[in-house]
Order: sequence, then structure tokens, then C-alpha cells
Amino acid sequence: MISIKQIISWKTALFILMLLPMMLGLGYGLLYSFGVIGLLNTGFTTEHWSDVLLNFNFWKSLLFSFGIGLISVGISLVIALWMVVNWHHDLRKGKLSTLIYLPLAFPATVVGFFIFQSFSKTGFWSRLLYQTGVISEIEDFPSLVNDAYGIGIILASTFIITPFLSLILKGIFENEDVTRFQHIAKSLGASQRQVLVKITLPILLQKAKTSLLLFLIFVIGSYEIPLLLGRQNPKMITVAIVDKAQRFNLDDIPQAYAMAIVYVLFLLFLFFGFQRLAKLKTKAYA
Amino acid sequence: MKNLLVLFASSLLFISCQSSSETKPLNLDDYTWKDIKAEGQAQEMTMMMWKGDPKINVYMQEYIKPKLLKKHNIDLTIVDGQGNYIVQMLMAELQAGANTSEIDLMWINGETFYQLRQIDALFGPWTSKLPNASNIDFENPFIGKDFQQAIDGYEMPWGNVQMTLIYNQDKIQQPPQTRAELLSFVKEHPGKFTWNNHFTGLTFMKALLMDIAGGAEVLKGEFNEDLYAKYSDELWIYLNQLKPYLWRQGEVFPENVAQMHQLFANGELLFTMSNNDAEVDNKVEEGLFKKSSRAYVPEFGSIQNSHYLGISKLSKKKLSAMLVVNELISEENQLEKMKPSVWGDGTVLQVSKLDSVFQKKFNSIAQRHYAPPREDIQKKALPELAPEYMIRLAEDFKKNLID
Repeated sequence: MISIKQIISWKTALFILMLLPMMLGLGYGLLYSFGVIGLLNTGFTTEHWSDVLLNFNFWKSLLFSFGIGLISVGISLVIALWMVVNWHHDLRKGKLSTLIYLPLAFPATVVGFFIFQSFSKTGFWSRLLYQTGVISEIEDFPSLVNDAYGIGIILASTFIITPFLSLILKGIFENEDVTRFQHIAKSLGASQRQVLVKITLPILLQKAKTSLLLFLIFVIGSYEIPLLLGRQNPKMITVAIVDKAQRFNLDDIPQAYAMAIVYVLFLLFLFFGFQRLAKLKTKAYA
Repeated sequence: MKNLLVLFASSLLFISCQSSSETKPLNLDDYTWKDIKAEGQAQEMTMMMWKGDPKINVYMQEYIKPKLLKKHNIDLTIVDGQGNYIVQMLMAELQAGANTSEIDLMWINGETFYQLRQIDALFGPWTSKLPNASNIDFENPFIGKDFQQAIDGYEMPWGNVQMTLIYNQDKIQQPPQTRAELLSFVKEHPGKFTWNNHFTGLTFMKALLMDIAGGAEVLKGEFNEDLYAKYSDELWIYLNQLKPYLWRQGEVFPENVAQMHQLFANGELLFTMSNNDAEVDNKVEEGLFKKSSRAYVPEFGSIQNSHYLGISKLSKKKLSAMLVVNELISEENQLEKMKPSVWGDGTVLQVSKLDSVFQKKFNSIAQRHYAPPREDIQKKALPELAPEYMIRLAEDFKKNLID
């Protein structure tokens, strides 16, 4: 017989097994950033932390990543919602239901490269517009990759997460039997708009919110895409950290660890803050 | 929360419990070359090198590797990795207290050498043990010194190259020769010039810095903060004059040379750069560059440097690595490597020391078609500066031009 207590201890053990490597990594990073361990460190110092926390570019990178994440997830959400709401029949079977899976097959690096090839100044679209005479010089094509606003990164991220998001929303749409609610609302005299705003969107968004947060964290944490499509300033936080860790100055490595820790804390704050907010809201509804 | 704290504390404990096992250091004084040969042969070993050039890979895989196997029964595995990747890896090994290294032999240059010496990850001194080392031109400051640092027997010169600018002679009849000419050229052709954000671009900026300082002699020796401050200020003024006329208005710089080559090949740039003076021949032969492409060194000069071979301190195959290096610097293998059709890498041997047969062979190597002759650019060769100059330039370039 296995008692309930044993089950709990198994759970705890599993939990520790999963968390331990992460905690070790964080602990290592923390010690490194304070100069306690590390080949070139000489002893406890808060110098690296103050260097990082007082560095304007670091905060800029963090905010830039956050902004890029919000915009990418926002755009994806609009597209995915639109597709699911309008095409949920086609998404279930037929060509579209297969086509939607296609972007899932692209690794991030490939998507990055594909965006670069299509949207750079000498890329496909630029050449096409030049050949058809829409722009008179190849140079007139707007900067869409390696640009100041991260447009290339947003394009690539949107391309990657939209199918995932559509599948999730489609699943919710079917599981929650939204069609039935729509019918009921309509038979009670709701307009098309009312059905959408009061029934369909609230159900979908309420169920998808945690996924949305995870997508946000995914985009903030992506590395290959900003590396290929971003630029040196503003730089996404992931690229900034790796740059600090691997560029010429070995004395910068503790700073990279400090940056990584702030980044982790930022994500944890984002995650738990959101959870708390969601709980409060649910309570308010109840 | 409490649980998390306990976890965290235990993780710290785990880290501090690492053992640092010391292996008995190898003392080369106890070995004659004969001993080294006897003990080093019939081993498997790993070399880490940059594998980004197909020609270099062919030379190593199909020319060197079978030779080693036949002559010393050494099975050489070549893995990809360079610069900071090597530093990170060896650093991790040292920090973890490992007693052996994944890498035995590695291909490095000055900045990596500096970092590896900083963390004491290189084995040495060992170079004087090799019989073929007697032919190396250690007297030549471009070979015997690496980024102004004494080699001290911790790395062996392997090849020597000089940076060049590459242009298309159909588009440009008179490439700019001085800083002033470069500025007016870039102003006349806005958006067509840039340099990359890494090693090659920094090497280009170092040449400009030396030109501003009034010659290589001024910045010679150890890093000098005052001199750096004085001349780098002028450099940033100059580069900021260029900035609005650079590719993408100087707001973005290519991440690597490959991207710059691509931009040059499709006409978005009028110039690309290479740290290897023979690369233009390779790239034309590969079909990436047009036949009208030419490499040149402007009047203000360009940096010439050597690349080296180092042995990792934790390697268990140090003697085999020494055998391999002795082969890599043999007359025959250096000659093969220097052929433009093979690699085009300059030799580190002092040709006048060799016997007359090899002297003749070295002097009659097929000429390069698109790169200028070595003797011509040698006159404009600048030595590498102390590594701190590069570290500072990389940081300040970001501050003064990009941010």
C-alpha cells in the first residue's frame, strides 16, 4: 500500500530533481557575479553588480526584449483569433488545417534566415519592387532587418508563434464548445458583435492567458533570431548577455552572470505577478 | 519559499564541494626528442580549429591527417571551434577542476593567446623541443611576437597573413590610399562602405589608430592608457565623420566577414576586408567574387600577424601534440599550405635557412592572381598592438559609434 504521504514525498523528490540543476546554475552565477568563484575573480565584490545595475544599456535591452515580446505576441494573437473565429470550420479539416502546421516545421534559425533573405535591402521583396519599378533604387527599400525597431525580429517571432497559438485557440474553441454558446446567445437576440465581444473573445482569452504569457517569455528568451535580425543597439537581452560573456574582455564575465540573474528574476516576477493578478481577477468574477 | 531556500543552500554546498585534483605536471626536461617520438606516437588526439574555410579543411583532412597516420600512427580528430569558444571551454574545464582536456591542440591567434595565458590554460614552454622549430623565423617581429607579447615557448607560429581591403577594379579605378582619400571616397559613394563588428573590423580600426598616432612605433609595447586616450579620441572623430556615409548610415555594422563578403558580392558594398591576404584568390576561385576583384593595402598600412598552435595545459596527449606541430611546421607541409590553390597561407619559416632545394621551391610558388605580391604589401605591414588596445577599441567603438 502506498500512503498519501509517500506520494507527496515522491512529488517533492521529483520537484527537487527538476529544480536542483537550475538552482545550482543560479547559485553558481550568483557566486560568480559577486566574485567569490571564477578563475579571474579575486574575492567578494559588488562592483560587477553595480556596473550592471547602473548601466543604461542593460535596462534598455531588457525593456526592448519585453516590448518586442509584447508586440509579437499581440500581433500573433490578433491573427490567430481572427483565423479561429472566422475559419474554425476550415481549420478542422481541408487544406488550411494542414497548411497551418507548415511554419511549425521551421527551426528558429531557418526562419531568421528566411526573413533575412526576403526582407533585407537586397532581398527578395526589395528586388521585386525594384524590378517592377515601384522603387527606383534598391537602397530605397525600408530597413526591415537589423533595424532600430526590431521589425525583423517581430516578423520572425510572429511567424513562429502564430501557428502554435492558432492551434491552442482552436483547441479551446472546440473543447469549450464555443459554437454552442454562440448559438444560444444568438437565439437570445445577441448581435454578431455582441457574440464576439461578450462570448467568443472572453472564453478564448480567459483560457489562453497562461499560454500567452509563456509565448511572451519564449520571445523574450529567443536568441538566434535577434542575433541574425537584430542590431548592435538596441540589443535584445539574450544577445547582450552572451556578448558580455563571450567577447574579448574576460573580466566582463561576472557582469554577464549578474545580467543573467536579473533576467531570470525579471521573468519570475513576470510569471508570478501575472499569476497573482489572474487569481485576483478570478476572485473578482466569482 | 522555505523549501526554495533550502534547495539554494544545498546547491551552494554542492558547488563548494568540488575537488581540485592536480595531475603531476609533465616535465619536458626529462625527455629527448626521441622519447617524445616514442611516447607520442600511436595515439588518438583532438585538435580544435576554425573550420569555416573549405580549402583549409581539405588541407587538414586530406593532406595532413593521412600523413600523420602514416608517419606516426596518430589519429587526429579535428573539431570546430575558435577564439572565445576555446577560452570558454578551457576555462570551464579549469573551473570544474577537470584532470583532462577535451582539446589537445588548438589553432589560436594573439587575442586568444592573451586570454588563455590570462587564465593559465596553455602548456609550456615546449616549442624549443621541436627539431623543426630551428627553421622558424623567430627573429621576425611579425612572427616571434604575438600582439606585442613574448611567445615564451607557449605557442608555435604556424602561418602568417596580412589584412587587405578587397574591391572590384571594374567599379573603382583608384582605391583610396589615405585616411583623407577614404573619407572623400565614402562621401562620394554613400552607403557603400563599412567594416564588421568583430575581429577584422577591429583590425582595420587598429591600423587607422596607428596611422593617426603617426606610425606603428608610437603605440609599440605594452598598453598605454594616455596614448590610447589621446589617439582614440581622434579616431572616433574621424569615424564619426565617416558614419553618416557608411552602409546603413553607420547604425548597423555587419556581424562577421562572411556577411560582408556577401554584401560585397551582391554589390551592396564596394569594399570588403580580409585578414588573409590570399583570401581574394580563394573567393574568386569559389565563384563568390567576380574575377575583377582585387585585394590591396592602402598607404596607411594594414596589420600583419601570425597565427599559432597551442597545447592545452590539461591535455593528456601533449607529446603527440608536439609531434603533430613538428609536422605542421615542416618545410614540405608549410610549402603545400602556402600554395594559393591549397590555402595561400604565408609561411613562418625563414626561407633563407632552408636547403637550396626548398629555397627554390618556396621562391617559385605559383603567383596569386588577385592578391598583390607579398613583397609589395610587406612594406606597408603594421605589427599587432597589445591586446588591451583591441579590448578597449571594441568597447569604445560601441560607446562612441553604435550607442
